[in-house]
Amino acid sequence: MTDPAVPTPVPLRLEGLTVAYGGRPAVQELSLEVRPGEIYGLLGSNGAGKSSTIKAVVGLVRPVAGRVLVFGHDPVIEGVRTKAGIGYVPETSLLYESLTPREFLEFVASVRHLPSGPTGERGRALVAAFRLEEEYDQPIATLSNGTRQKVLLVAALLHQPPLLVLDEPLNHLDPRAVRLTKDLLTRYVADGRRGVLFSTHTMEVAERLCTRVGILDHGLLRGEGSLASLRERVARGDATLEEIFLGLTEEAGEVRAAVASLERV
Amino acid sequence: MGWREALRLSDTAFTELSLQAIYAFRQGNLLPSGATADLVPKARRRVLQSKVMVAGLLSLLTLGVAFILRDSSLVIARAFPYYISPAVFDTGVLTALLGLDLAFLWWTGLQVLPTLLSSTVLPVLETLPVDDRTLRRAAALVYVRLFDLPALVVLVLTPVLVAAALGVRAGLAVLPGVVVAVTFALALSLITARFFVRRVQGSRSGGGSTVLRWSYLVLWVIPAFGMFGFVTLAPAFFNELAHLTDSGPSGLFDLVLLVFPFPLASLPPLAAGGTGALPLGVAGLETVVAASGVYVVLTVACLSWMGGAVRRVGQAPLGGAGPGPTSPFGLRLTGPVRSVLVKDLRIASRNPGYAFLILLPILDALALGLLSYAPGSSTRGADALGLGAVTSAALLATFFGPAFFAIEVLAYSYGRTLPLPDRSLVLGKVALVVAIYLVSAGIVLGLVDLRLRTPLVFLAFILAELPAVAAASVIELGLVLRRARRKGLPVVNLYAGSWTAILIAVPGLFVALMPLVALSLAGGSSSTFALEVMALVSVAELGLAAPVLLGGVSS
Repeated sequence: MTDPAVPTPVPLRLEGLTVAYGGRPAVQELSLEVRPGEIYGLLGSNGAGKSSTIKAVVGLVRPVAGRVLVFGHDPVIEGVRTKAGIGYVPETSLLYESLTPREFLEFVASVRHLPSGPTGERGRALVAAFRLEEEYDQPIATLSNGTRQKVLLVAALLHQPPLLVLDEPLNHLDPRAVRLTKDLLTRYVADGRRGVLFSTHTMEVAERLCTRVGILDHGLLRGEGSLASLRERVARGDATLEEIFLGLTEEAGEVRAAVASLERV
Repeated sequence: MGWREALRLSDTAFTELSLQAIYAFRQGNLLPSGATADLVPKARRRVLQSKVMVAGLLSLLTLGVAFILRDSSLVIARAFPYYISPAVFDTGVLTALLGLDLAFLWWTGLQVLPTLLSSTVLPVLETLPVDDRTLRRAAALVYVRLFDLPALVVLVLTPVLVAAALGVRAGLAVLPGVVVAVTFALALSLITARFFVRRVQGSRSGGGSTVLRWSYLVLWVIPAFGMFGFVTLAPAFFNELAHLTDSGPSGLFDLVLLVFPFPLASLPPLAAGGTGALPLGVAGLETVVAASGVYVVLTVACLSWMGGAVRRVGQAPLGGAGPGPTSPFGLRLTGPVRSVLVKDLRIASRNPGYAFLILLPILDALALGLLSYAPGSSTRGADALGLGAVTSAALLATFFGPAFFAIEVLAYSYGRTLPLPDRSLVLGKVALVVAIYLVSAGIVLGLVDLRLRTPLVFLAFILAELPAVAAASVIELGLVLRRARRKGLPVVNLYAGSWTAILIAVPGLFVALMPLVALSLAGGSSSTFALEVMALVSVAELGLAAPVLLGGVSS
């Protein structure tokens, strides 16, 4: 039971985060937080800075300014401790190709110091839920992209981390697995303590799944809030998330112009 | 579309291959944090540097052989306690050179081909609206470019230097040999790569499959082991050659001349000294000509086969896998250090390049241990051979230490998101190096014990060296890890970062050698005091290296 007198720690807080590659900024002074019990959707066009933000959160990229706090801990200072509390699904399913899903999960769980019995039970349940039984002992190199994505999701969920960081997690998944993942995520945050940071450019998914969304454009946060609050901001009560996104990133006019120019040629 | 278009396509594909070889983006590495504009030229430059290095080593080998051939009578007089005819000796030397050229190029192929396959540059070309013939040519050109500089050294430098040493006719006569050796090396690389794709990389988990996979890998490594093994076995080789020919023409020698690369290696001495130069039997000359002809015909067949095979191998799906789990569900969990060791062994069991590094010291120990059983070898000689085998196992395991970090390039970015302390990572790799040393030393111990029944001295020697091996690998892996973290560049393979691996191995080798030097200075392995000194030096090295290096990496 959660003690109402003790405030639940914030799963993720970004404070003025700036990420750059070779002097070229990918994320600029980004501040946001994923609150307890929240699925936070990070939206943006290709190259908007979503993946760079996520890489900074999981400790793959060192920020040039600002900081990341995972339950109050900075991954730059306390890398191992911070990583222990994160379940991560990268945007591309690049895994240990030579290992089988069984061997991969054994490695990941061993590194995380997980107890054998309960982890085995949970692993078995997740493998069954994602229907990975047939591929369980085949090298990952032989698996389809969708199956690899399922292996990554199982690895991210195996230790029931307090923070899930998912970079386009529904890529390559079949409709059943998409539905399963969405339902699992909704239930995952239902205890009001965990958080999920979720990047996507599929507006329908974000609209249905996310508690709040942040819209990134050229590394800058253009807008943030629930769907209702964003509708208020664009002063259109019936606006879809796609319309809000295009409005805030000022891309609606560009899209119309591009379509018109293509019709002329 | 023709060769010009194929060349253009192969250039683009090779650039992509260079980028993947150096930065391994397709294997999960991240964009380096520094300047990114010159990534492609930098990758091409580094691949070229590595090719120059491999070509340089082959040049040195060829140059050394040329010097030996020029003064073979002098070399025989100084180096051999028995008589061997200069022409037979030259045949033996050229046999060794051609064999080493083949083994070295093949080994290069083994190292580089997994990168070619995982980079998927060839399947990408298949999606272009280009005709079959051009695609086949482009694939073949990409393949040839993996070997171009080293192969050119063999094909051009060898005839030139043999001509300088034995005369122009001998230089021309060695041409068929080098062409056959290079072609066989390229073909063998491709055959083994195809075998790798079908039987090893796609093999499932489970005890039976693992044993089968390692058996395949041992079979595969044995020919590549020839490169190292020949150096080890050279004295025995020349001894046997002298023994075969010491009483003049011999039918057995004729039979030997059927075996590759003997007939081709005998052509230059025959061209230089005439048919009487070699003690050939009744059908000796015909044997040489016929066998050489067969190998040349085989070479033509290989060239024709390789034209299309490169493209097929590049697209081949991984085989060997069947549906369903091999054992009940569940996860066998261990500690982080052991999990790194187990993961590396599992990856190596499906990657011949890594398996080679593990198996070479073990097979070398086995070969040297077995050599102590050679007829005529004295007890004292066998004793020295056993100690030498343990020493070489220690040095080889140490030398390959940095290369074991290269496994980390696989899924590099994902691996870095796991809560694995650098200390556990280094200790996992050190455990692998120590395990290789112990298995190799154990084999020698078993063989020597069977023959000499003096296991205690060997056991003391093995245990005294053990801390130094651990210290050496702690130093090497600590340095590699620091560099990788600083530069964001984890790759250490033959065509990417070979200089780094070699430079980092130098202090490691120094540390591994120190206790052996101490042993020698203090009186050798027969002295208990000397063994104690050796152990003391070894333990002191570990005591010094471990806190410094492991203290510097995050825990």
